[in-house]
Amino acid sequence: MNLLYCFIGVFIGTLVGVLPGIGPVAAMSLLLPVTFNVSPAGGIIMLAGIYYGSMYGGSTTAILVNIPGEAASVVTCIDGYQMARQGRAGPALGMSAMGSFIAGTVAIIGLMLLAPTLARWAVKFGPAEYFSLMVLGLCVLTYLSHGSLLKALTMAALGLVLGLVGLDSITGVPRLTFDKLELIDGIGLVPIVMGLFGIAEILSNLEQPPSREVFAARLRNLFPNREDWKRSSGPLARGSVLGFLIGILPGGGAVIASFLSYALEKRVSRTPERFGKGAIEGVAGPEAANNAAAGGAFIPLLTLGIPPNVVMALLLGAFIVHGLQPGPLLMTQSPGLFWGIVASMYIGNLLLLVLNLPLIGMWVQVLKVPYRLLFPLIILFCVIGVYSVSGAIFDVYLMIGFGVLGYLMRKFGYEPAPLVLAFVLGPMMENNLRKALILSEGNFDIFVSRPISLACLALAVLLLLSALLPWLNVKRKELATDES
Amino acid sequence: MARSGAEIALSVGVVALGIGVAAVTATLPSEGGYAGIGPNFIPAVVAAGIILLGVWLSIEAFAGGWRDTPGHEPSFEKSPFLWVSAGLFAHMALIGWAGFIIAGTVLFVCVARGFGSRRIVRDLAIALVLALGIYLFFVHLLNVNLPAGWLSPVLGGAGI
Repeated sequence: MNLLYCFIGVFIGTLVGVLPGIGPVAAMSLLLPVTFNVSPAGGIIMLAGIYYGSMYGGSTTAILVNIPGEAASVVTCIDGYQMARQGRAGPALGMSAMGSFIAGTVAIIGLMLLAPTLARWAVKFGPAEYFSLMVLGLCVLTYLSHGSLLKALTMAALGLVLGLVGLDSITGVPRLTFDKLELIDGIGLVPIVMGLFGIAEILSNLEQPPSREVFAARLRNLFPNREDWKRSSGPLARGSVLGFLIGILPGGGAVIASFLSYALEKRVSRTPERFGKGAIEGVAGPEAANNAAAGGAFIPLLTLGIPPNVVMALLLGAFIVHGLQPGPLLMTQSPGLFWGIVASMYIGNLLLLVLNLPLIGMWVQVLKVPYRLLFPLIILFCVIGVYSVSGAIFDVYLMIGFGVLGYLMRKFGYEPAPLVLAFVLGPMMENNLRKALILSEGNFDIFVSRPISLACLALAVLLLLSALLPWLNVKRKELATDES
Repeated sequence: MARSGAEIALSVGVVALGIGVAAVTATLPSEGGYAGIGPNFIPAVVAAGIILLGVWLSIEAFAGGWRDTPGHEPSFEKSPFLWVSAGLFAHMALIGWAGFIIAGTVLFVCVARGFGSRRIVRDLAIALVLALGIYLFFVHLLNVNLPAGWLSPVLGGAGI
């Protein structure tokens, strides 16, 4: 049965990956209500399948149409599309699917090795450690965010305010509810995410309806030749490891992993001038990296209960709906679920290989559905999705409000991701801060007297200082402009 | 970069939001029991942070534009945007009393128009069929109640 859910997940994932204008985040929040009627394992396997499925699907559009199907395949466009123009679309698609599979495998093995150790260690974490770890996480997140640090901080602060709405978790005092009944339970994650990622994305598409010229000619031979493999083996290995490590970092995720992998391959290559002109290394490395990152991102969620990116925040929501608390105890309390998820990731990767190589023609057909029918349908689904999670029309209003806000913010160069993560992490941080202080009877020393907590805080301070120091900041901006 | 009215307005808006949060925070109780910090502690920190960020943004906005804004101004076309917004607002107004099917149909047609469709009758037909199909699928197969509104006599007692 879970196999079926896994299949549905990766199928939908590939679909949203192929379609530009709708990403895994919007698709996952859409399907969140559907998973309520399914067993916890089935629901989570399905949602996870959407995430890594979209990593595969995104590259198809990038290579054939030169439009990233979703954000993590932006760099795949550069060399993938050039390969397609040279009539080598087949090997490009084949390499990206097989590279994704290899990297996915590496990430799962990494997860299996690392997660139990980390979880055993994390059991010892108290509220003080959690608080400091999340402080560090937020610092990494703002540091890695594209563009302006100031803007990322502003968005994070907005997220914190939204997270404050509702009853105080320790004393039960209503905060920022303005005596409105709808706000007592706080603001839901789904309306925020669907507004900022679903509706806002479609509004942005209004400005420049992407033109689509599908390069599907000569799609006969999907297999890269010996020369391609020889060139790609290095990038695949480096991309897998790099992506996995970046995926674990808060705010890292697939997008940054793919950018960094491309930059790395270009730097280590003996023939960097071939990049941008159809170098297969420029497809293999980033595609491996984004899939490995998708796998690595599960580690902080499954072992610490802390979501490192927006997708994992949604998954956390799904766990909680099913009455499960991801964290160090998940593996001991429900080992079946934990290993079921890990196994499903492997099966999902296999299914994706099958879905993406022989069935590539079908996805090309999907790309031909006109936008003027596709986008209204997506908006319609957003509305239903939000409504069916909570059964409240108020949430539909919220989603539309956040959609317009997200669209305007995007126009000014503000990224929505820091807002969502701060919204999720903020209440967790406050809760842990106050619990820690209850334990220490109001003494702030607890955060520096415990070694793990102290180490996290010291790292966070170091990171902030380095971001503020002008020399390093120039470096950081170079990286950011390199990426954009 | 030239000064931009929108940037100044947004920066001032951020400051105003911070002051608003601070004002609400002032009404919250401060006794924290054993922790020593009460429910008002974090809101106060956040409010201070937002005011600080807002002031910083304002300084940059008045000093000649935020740094790091994308150089090229993306083309903004009014009429598609208005169509989509109209659809969304019509949906907000309609879903409560006219029900999901009617509100959804209106939304679909407006958004399709926004994306350049000119065949309203065809869109209307597609939208009606889709909305009805989705409605029946959610209500009968997924047991998710969508508001039936005006059509509840036709659709039976599904929309409780």
